[in-house]
Amino acid sequence: MRPETREQYRIAVFALPATLFMLVMMAIPLGSVVWQSISDDTGLSLAAYAKIVQSNLFIRVTRTTLEIALGATLVAFFLGYPIAYFLAKQSTKRQTIWLIVILIPFWTSSLVKSFAFVVMLGHAGILNTFLGELGLGPYKMLFNRIGVMVGMSHFLVPFMVFPILTNLRSQPPELAKAAAIMGAGKFRIFRTVTFPLSLPGVVSGALLVFILALGFFIVPKLLGGRQDVMLSSLVDFYAREVFDFQMSSAIAVILMATALLAAFLLSKVRGGASILSKESS
Amino acid sequence: MMEGQGSTWRRANAAFAIAAMIFLLLPSLIVIPMSFSDSELIIFPPKGYSFHLYQRYVEEPGWVSASILSLRVAIWTTILSICLGVPAAYALVRGNFPGRRMLAMFLLSPIMLPSVVLALAIYIYFVRISLSHGELRLVLAHCVATLPFVVVTAAAGIQTVDANIERAATIMGASRLYVFRTVTLPLVIPSIVAGALFTFLISFDEIIISIFVAKAGDTTLPIKMFSSLVFEVSPVLAAISTMLTLMSALICILVTFAQKGDAKP
Amino acid sequence: MTDSMGTVQEMVRLDAVTKRYGSFTALHETELSIRAGEFLTLLGPSGSGKTTLLNAVAGMATPTSGRIWIDGRDVTATPPEKRGLGMVFQSYALMPHMTVFDNIAYPLKVRKISKQEIRKRVSDVLELVRLPDLAHRKPKELSGGQQQRVSIARCLVYNPRLVLMDEPLGALDKKLREQMQLEIKRLHNELKITMIYVTHDQEEALNMSDRIMLMNGGKAEQIGSPHDLYFRPVSQFAADFIGQSTMLDAKILEVGDPCIVDLGASGQCKVKVPGANKDQGGKLVLRPETLRLITNDQIADGFNALSVRYKDSLVTGSTIKHIVELENGTELIVQELTTPEETAKRHEGRLLVAWPVEAGIFLDR
Ligand SMILES: Nc1ncnc2c1ncn2[C@@H]1O[C@H](COP(=O)(O)OP(=O)(O)OP(=O)(O)O)[C@@H](O)[C@H]1O
Ligand SMILES: [Mg+2]
Repeated sequence: MRPETREQYRIAVFALPATLFMLVMMAIPLGSVVWQSISDDTGLSLAAYAKIVQSNLFIRVTRTTLEIALGATLVAFFLGYPIAYFLAKQSTKRQTIWLIVILIPFWTSSLVKSFAFVVMLGHAGILNTFLGELGLGPYKMLFNRIGVMVGMSHFLVPFMVFPILTNLRSQPPELAKAAAIMGAGKFRIFRTVTFPLSLPGVVSGALLVFILALGFFIVPKLLGGRQDVMLSSLVDFYAREVFDFQMSSAIAVILMATALLAAFLLSKVRGGASILSKESS
Repeated sequence: MMEGQGSTWRRANAAFAIAAMIFLLLPSLIVIPMSFSDSELIIFPPKGYSFHLYQRYVEEPGWVSASILSLRVAIWTTILSICLGVPAAYALVRGNFPGRRMLAMFLLSPIMLPSVVLALAIYIYFVRISLSHGELRLVLAHCVATLPFVVVTAAAGIQTVDANIERAATIMGASRLYVFRTVTLPLVIPSIVAGALFTFLISFDEIIISIFVAKAGDTTLPIKMFSSLVFEVSPVLAAISTMLTLMSALICILVTFAQKGDAKP
Repeated sequence: MTDSMGTVQEMVRLDAVTKRYGSFTALHETELSIRAGEFLTLLGPSGSGKTTLLNAVAGMATPTSGRIWIDGRDVTATPPEKRGLGMVFQSYALMPHMTVFDNIAYPLKVRKISKQEIRKRVSDVLELVRLPDLAHRKPKELSGGQQQRVSIARCLVYNPRLVLMDEPLGALDKKLREQMQLEIKRLHNELKITMIYVTHDQEEALNMSDRIMLMNGGKAEQIGSPHDLYFRPVSQFAADFIGQSTMLDAKILEVGDPCIVDLGASGQCKVKVPGANKDQGGKLVLRPETLRLITNDQIADGFNALSVRYKDSLVTGSTIKHIVELENGTELIVQELTTPEETAKRHEGRLLVAWPVEAGIFLDR
């Protein structure tokens, strides 16, 4: 064996334990889920998929999932972009402080946040009490679509902020300056220079948020109503309530395929995972 | 006039951004005053203040034992994922072997997979291989979710280490393992610590995978919180939420400032 | 260095070493032999393969084909940590988490040398590189020059017989660089090490080396002493890369000693071209400092002279550069020593540029 090849094997060995672990704990389980979904007692069978395609429940839940995921992506964009734009304009020191403001909710348990929203949005919750004093309401904001959207977009905004912020930070400041010298106003600079240049960041943020939104489970379960069941809950329902592993596996496979497709698109947008970019020397 | 337009635009943006950030921070903040309420009902703002919700957390059956289980699982998960993830990150960053890209994608893929899919897969797998040790089930399953995170954090750290420093050490006669131990590892310790803290947090807060793989008796804190939220919303949740929020905040601030200090020239 | 037999010992030998990256050849079948104690410089433009060659010797890049010997041992398949050589990097490559002392002690610890011995050798080598008082600082508390001294000390402390340096002074300012050149030269002489030194600064190469290997496009363009490279370049690339020169299109009219060479509209001149062929085309290389500006009555035997038009002068300290134009419009640079009279004298009248016949170099590639 060439010494260089031997050297490379010696480095690759460092990844061996993790690789074996992931093979045993992830690849095999996922593989058997796929297998489970296309087989039954008699052998290979696409019965589960046939059943799914004809199932009104599945079609309704898929539509709900897409609706909610798209809606949450949109809301996350409208909240996330201004935050990223605002942060990008701050000095590095202030940016750090503001980033903590985003990181703390980002790292707060989803159960804590769900609990807080239950308390805030409930029929006798904080928001309705407050609105009541203004002579408004009470409005139903919990256990329906509003609750789901609020909870999900709250969770997803940071995922939108980070890629956009990274993009905005990497934009050369001379561009905006040049536009300003040519007499463009602040809004015009934003509309004609900054925003178009930040689109790759927006797209990668939106794709990421969409992937995550597809798999949501806790928030719709705790803040949504019966009509807000998403695909994840359906997986859970078939697996742990009906014990129909074939059906739950088939839905999981569909969910996985969608996520992988979106992840593939994401890697195209980002031009590959950054972990692989090597500085040469 | 241009000035006026510019500053209006900037002020509008700042106002909206700050409002959005308050929205983000609000749930984490609102649980704190509620946790000190002296009422048995969940009301805001509380009429009077006391520690009795914290007292109930300690005294009511289940909460403390659930916390201890979560703690144990999180610690073991952190140790296991660091031991597996850091060397893997090293191989991915420094290696140039065929299949390196594929391997990176493979190791990072759980990030992109919905948790429910992983949870279902591992659940069915555990049933099939009849792994019955409850805590081990949780640790192994959590590790699948946290490992990619450790790999990414450690890889970012390793990338900041000048490869020539390792080369210099090699040429001076040190073996690869010795170089890793005496040069690379000490230089990436800050990112490993950051990765470990966040891994701990992810595992401690993990809910979806836990719901699937935990055995009936093994109630982690998130599982107990979840069932409390589904069946009857207990005010004790406010006390627990406050503690969890403070833990997250502490870790965030710690990591942010540790990295800041490190970046100084 | 000579061994007991009296023959010159060879420290490094490259035998048809080729390095390919995919379909790109970074190093073409390179042959090289380095004497023990020699100071060899690899000189060449960016991307010419200097680092590739150095890495092959160090063991950090395995040749695609060919063999490498160090000190009589075939090391082609030996990993870098077993080659026992020293290397200094442009980026210093000091371990930022270790003190100067620990950095220098690192190779000794690898070799499991006793604590006392380590302490003694580190302080000796710090003395040698003239940094005795900084042992307990961290690298980032040192200046660039000091850091490079530490990295040189770290490389010398375990007495490697062969030391490789890849643009060690590239990050330093001019003044410090000149000072460090002298230091490195001094260490080389005192310690009798064999040195392979990479630079793309021709002046540095000319100042320091016993021999220079000029590289171009992954190949050795010319190997020889600084004197050889300067006065006897084998190609237009070599002539152009080392020193200043003017190149004129030329064609051999008459073979002889010297040959008569046609310079087109500018006239003719005599050049010594061993093995010339009639009608052979090429370039005439003229070094600015071999040229003189004269007037008609100053033409002497053994000199070539061409008529020129004066354009401008640049005083650069001790020398003055005159820019003149040949009949066909080609510009020539004439470099002379500055004297008070000379600056003003030649604005009028017919001027000639003259050079000794043996100073012209005819190159056909
Ligand atoms: N790992 C690699 N993969 C592919 N090509 C490489 C690699 N390393 C070097 N090369 C190529 O080989 C050629 C020679 O590179 P090398 O580093 O030897 O140049 P150099 O003479 O040291 O240049 P410089 O003065 O810029 O350091 C370059 O064209 C470079 O792009
Ligand atoms: Mg180089």
